[in-house]
Amino acid sequence: MNKQRLTFLIVLVLVGLIGGAKFFLGARHQELDPKQVRSKGNSQARVKVVEFIDFQCPACANGVKILGTYLDKYPHDIYLQVKYFPLTNVHRHAMVSALYSECAARQGKFWALNDMMMPQQSQWAQLISAEPVFKSMALQAGMDIRKLEGCLASDDARRVINDEKSLGQSLGISSTPTYFINNKMVVGTKSLEEELKTYFP
Amino acid sequence: MWVLLRLIIGSIFLVSGLEKLLSPYQNFLYAIQAYQVLPSPIEVLVAQIFPWIELIMGAFIFIGLWTPWVLRGALICFGIFVVMLGQALIRSLPLDNCGCFGDLIHLKPQMEIVLDSASLLLTFLLLRNIPRVQKFSLDSYFG
Repeated sequence: MNKQRLTFLIVLVLVGLIGGAKFFLGARHQELDPKQVRSKGNSQARVKVVEFIDFQCPACANGVKILGTYLDKYPHDIYLQVKYFPLTNVHRHAMVSALYSECAARQGKFWALNDMMMPQQSQWAQLISAEPVFKSMALQAGMDIRKLEGCLASDDARRVINDEKSLGQSLGISSTPTYFINNKMVVGTKSLEEELKTYFP
Repeated sequence: MWVLLRLIIGSIFLVSGLEKLLSPYQNFLYAIQAYQVLPSPIEVLVAQIFPWIELIMGAFIFIGLWTPWVLRGALICFGIFVVMLGQALIRSLPLDNCGCFGDLIHLKPQMEIVLDSASLLLTFLLLRNIPRVQKFSLDSYFG
């Protein structure tokens, strides 16, 4: 065998191995959960978005604004579901903000809390403890504080958050925000805007 | 020692390329977008093609095939990495992680530019000592 043939063979083997591994891993997509309460918009919409979010992630806050604009402009054409992906090794308040959000969802107040949490992110992200701020937001959102405290003390909310993060990791997610727009994976707000423009030119 | 250095440089590209290829390309695309240098269509192309270049180049450096050529390729790559990181640092772009090794290792851009500069110098030295670098290589087998 000469050098050129060996070169070709090695490239073929590498491409074949990796290509095969990628094929075996399969295309990643995330189906909507019809029972999920962290949803907004028209469930029959032609554009379905599943967002994996970390509430302390600045890009996620920007993504919330972008999606909010599209939801306002095209309320019948977009359906959004939110799943948790706290980056606990990077963001101090990632888990606690997710816990408050999940506990709010159990009282039907997920969006009410989210509408306060995300615009004020830059303020509470700097704090040593953000819980007093979240508790104040919960009160403003009309949450039952006793139920909230019970929820925070239980393991169930944390389990839901960790399960969704594991799901995200199995889909190949490593950063936030990550979206699945009609099952197509999109990472970051620049790609989000570009993908949404293909549906709403 | 020169062979060991060749294996190290080869491993860097192999691991980097492999990690990116086994992860959705959208993750590397997100890292590229943070540098705010390329137009969108080029960013997508780079995100999909560059990991393959890293993988193949890394493999060839590791096994010592077409060594002078792939080392020149590595030199160009490290040069590009240093320039990209440098411009991001000068422009104070919000880079949490350089994206260099995908999700495997998270390196701050300040650390990574030092490592890439050192790797650039090392690759240059390897190119200046090709006969020693090509010991225990497929190049030496083919003569």
